[in-house]
Amino acid sequence: MRSSKPTKSRPLYGIRRHRGDYRIILYMGALMLFGLVVMYAIGPQRAHVLNNAFSDANYTDTHFFVRQSMYLIIAIGAFITMAKLPVSWLRSHTQQILLTAFLLCTLLAIGGAVGLPIVPEIGGAYRWFNFGGFASLQPSEMLKFAILIFGAAFLALRVRENSVNDRDASLIPMAIVLAAASFFVIVLQKDMGTGMSLLAIVVAMYIAAGANKKVGAIAIAAILLAGVALIIAAPHRMERVAAFLAGDSVTTSNDETYQIAHAKIAIGSGGLTGVGIGNSVQATGYLPEVINDAVFAVLGEMFGFVGLVIILGLYGGLLIRLLSIADRSAEPLLRFIAVGIFGWLAAHVIINVGSVTGLMPLTGITLPLLSFGGTSMIVMSAVLGLAFQISQYTQYDTVKNGGYNEGTRSRRGVGRSRHANRSRTT
Amino acid sequence: MEAVSHSRIRFLTAALLFIFGVIVLRLFWMQVVQHDKYSVLANNEQVRKLIVPANRGEIYALDMGKPVHLVLNEPVFTVFADPVIIDEPDEIVNSVRSIAGGTARSGLEKLVRAKPSRYQILATNVTRKQAKMLKDKNLTGLGFQPTTRRIYPEKELASQVLGFVNAEGKGQYGVESGLDKRLRGTDGLLQSVTDPNNVPLTIGKNNLRKPAINGENIVLTIDRNIQSYTEQALKHGMKKAGATFGSALVMNPQDGSVVAMANFPTYKPEEFTKVMDPAAFNNAIISSPYEPGSVMKTFTLATGIDRGVVTPESTYLNTDKITVDDRTIENAAKGQLGQVSMQTALNWSLNTGMVTIAQRLGDGNYINSRARNTMYSYLHDKFRLGKETGIDIAGEAAGYMVPPNSGEGNAVRYSNMSFGQGMNLTMLQVASGFSAMVNGGEYYSPRIVAGTVNEDGEYVAGEKPKSKGQVIKSATSSQMRKMIYDARRAFHADGDKKGYFVGGKTGTSQTLVNGKYDFGQTVGTYLGFGGDTAPKYVIMIQVSAPGKALEGNTHAMPIFTDISNWMIDYLQLRPRS
Repeated sequence: MRSSKPTKSRPLYGIRRHRGDYRIILYMGALMLFGLVVMYAIGPQRAHVLNNAFSDANYTDTHFFVRQSMYLIIAIGAFITMAKLPVSWLRSHTQQILLTAFLLCTLLAIGGAVGLPIVPEIGGAYRWFNFGGFASLQPSEMLKFAILIFGAAFLALRVRENSVNDRDASLIPMAIVLAAASFFVIVLQKDMGTGMSLLAIVVAMYIAAGANKKVGAIAIAAILLAGVALIIAAPHRMERVAAFLAGDSVTTSNDETYQIAHAKIAIGSGGLTGVGIGNSVQATGYLPEVINDAVFAVLGEMFGFVGLVIILGLYGGLLIRLLSIADRSAEPLLRFIAVGIFGWLAAHVIINVGSVTGLMPLTGITLPLLSFGGTSMIVMSAVLGLAFQISQYTQYDTVKNGGYNEGTRSRRGVGRSRHANRSRTT
Repeated sequence: MEAVSHSRIRFLTAALLFIFGVIVLRLFWMQVVQHDKYSVLANNEQVRKLIVPANRGEIYALDMGKPVHLVLNEPVFTVFADPVIIDEPDEIVNSVRSIAGGTARSGLEKLVRAKPSRYQILATNVTRKQAKMLKDKNLTGLGFQPTTRRIYPEKELASQVLGFVNAEGKGQYGVESGLDKRLRGTDGLLQSVTDPNNVPLTIGKNNLRKPAINGENIVLTIDRNIQSYTEQALKHGMKKAGATFGSALVMNPQDGSVVAMANFPTYKPEEFTKVMDPAAFNNAIISSPYEPGSVMKTFTLATGIDRGVVTPESTYLNTDKITVDDRTIENAAKGQLGQVSMQTALNWSLNTGMVTIAQRLGDGNYINSRARNTMYSYLHDKFRLGKETGIDIAGEAAGYMVPPNSGEGNAVRYSNMSFGQGMNLTMLQVASGFSAMVNGGEYYSPRIVAGTVNEDGEYVAGEKPKSKGQVIKSATSSQMRKMIYDARRAFHADGDKKGYFVGGKTGTSQTLVNGKYDFGQTVGTYLGFGGDTAPKYVIMIQVSAPGKALEGNTHAMPIFTDISNWMIDYLQLRPRS
């Protein structure tokens, strides 16, 4: 368990490695390619809009496509790295990871307060370090990752102690960590979306860990209370809730409802099969955030209902794979990491899609793997790499049915989890 | 513990599928069920429609057979503001006011601040020069829309024939209204999907490019010189007669062309907005039916001669009165007692002679059904009196002639009609019927359109006018010409140029005031023709004034004579040897 260079045949938590779940790569790759195609299609329009809006901007037609391609290469690197880097190593560095994340968030807040040039202000908040050019760092993504590892490790211990629902051993410490993280993300960085996905990671883990109804009720009450307080505290959140409550009657002539109204127009005007790739009119400047948070809307315009259902299918397939991996992981740590990643990805997809379709108040959050942007894509690829690693240490059957670790006989005819590595090492 | 975890993961799976299911239903609702609604919303903001206005056709008169402008278009600009993007409203107000002057609208200060409106018209009919001065100021939020306005090089000439074009670009009155469809053309349409800055995109199926089809340039049968002289002569004659209202119509009897048509009071089409009484827009010659009076005696004679019941020399016993049913009809001019000829009856305008003809059309003693049917058939069906002529000028009235078999159409009524009472006719109807009477018997519908001017500026004459048929015999026509010539010669020919063939008939009709004939207020009419060997023009004059008894011979006829003598020179007619 000491950190040394891992060898291929090394077992993890007593389970020998086998062939991983390549469907993760399939779904992830499909979504990434989809995103790349979209950047190619609407990138020129986006560049045109930005060049018109800012006199000093000079984006080329292929700017967003080239950028996204570079991010993709890095993201693939992150995937491979995390697929190789043993979970056990991460587990043993949980504290360092968590502390680093908090430290970065603190530095970001201080940097913003003293006006450090590498901390740009965006909408009255400081969300990332910008080291110039390509290099930027978003501490909140780091924090999500830290909460994922910490939460899984923490809950794995609580499961062993059988104290998941214990107030002092489990709930209060976790609440403190979560509150601290939320303070940075929601209060200082004014990023409700990231705050919600942090929460989703922890909630998903607790559900999987067997939190009882009482804990669930308390959690729901606390989340609602905090949510209402946060909404009331910020006028722009109130406006968004008001816009949400106005339903489909919102108009584009109102500044508060401009974005959601255009997102709906983009989706609705796509119809059953869409206007076709490259034919998006909303992307020419009507719909804000068209390559970032609103990419789902413009996908709806271009590919219609059919296209969106396919995209949702890809996400759904990926999310089901994550749950399936969790279900087949005997080791609680691995299980909780997989469930945490599920919560992370699901939160992003549901909040993003829910926002642009008017099912919930507009919340700025990326659509993982499809949106333009480096940090989100790289970190998401990294945690999916982690999920892939975990998928190499699953059992044949679900945990409930007792699982099998080494029963070669019982695996006969089941391709996925046979001793796949052998064929490559011999 | 493991069992708990599995059920929890199944719970997460179920929750995920539920939420995705809701999302898919939502998408189905938006993209399939409500697709049309969102398409409309998308088109509303994405599709810009630009109407390419068609140029309105110009209107020409003839001058020695060549078209000359009566109405032409001048390019002008409509200056508008986009209050949303204006940054210096006061600067714009001051510039527009100082440069556009009177064409600027009132309350500019309010208009330029009328957010969220994006289109406020600040001034219309701004000339090209003024627009350039405004453009040079580079004011943000000020726009210029090229358009045209009608200008009238001949001022008020033929204004009631022309009509005008209102602020919405629609033709009103006259040929502007009557020929609005032809003059208007068809606006083109540029429809394009644009980005938010209105830059057209080459995306989608909503792009349209339909060029404008310009309106036709219409050449009227109006002769500029005749029209001009007719207006002048009418004005002059009216002044002498003390008339308030006057109308003069000059037609070519050989093809029904209206060569001059004038009414007073009139208006300047350029200043139509300043006209207080819209009655000035009315072209009384076509839109105000009246009782023409004794000029109608020519029609009764023509009918009688054509039917063979009388000749110019036929005589009857004139006692200055004649009884029809319970009514006794008297002559206005008395004293021609005894056996008199029809020519005498026409010369002295004897009502008894006309009633006699009407009786002879029946059984000789009574205006029976056959007589009435014959008269109606000639007056209404052949000479087309009391029905619309179909001329391309807006506002034509049909007038009315009582049919012979209706309760009103009895012998008394038809006896009155024989000398021009008891029917409502427009001057255009009477002059057109009269033209047929003197031109050899062929009826031509009166026309105002001679042809068009094509895109290259060439005059393209319209279809040659076609006769509507022989309504009286050529011999009857020839006899009528002679009778009318003689009737004029009997008393009124002193002013005529010698050696020309000019004939005419007076008419003085009482007006109906509150349902009763008012003898203190009469309308003077004169109807005649002139020419060399054949009639070359028909002129009809009408003058009246409230409370004044204006007469055909003393008040209307001098105007006829004036125009007639001028026409002889203008048409360069050769005197008969």
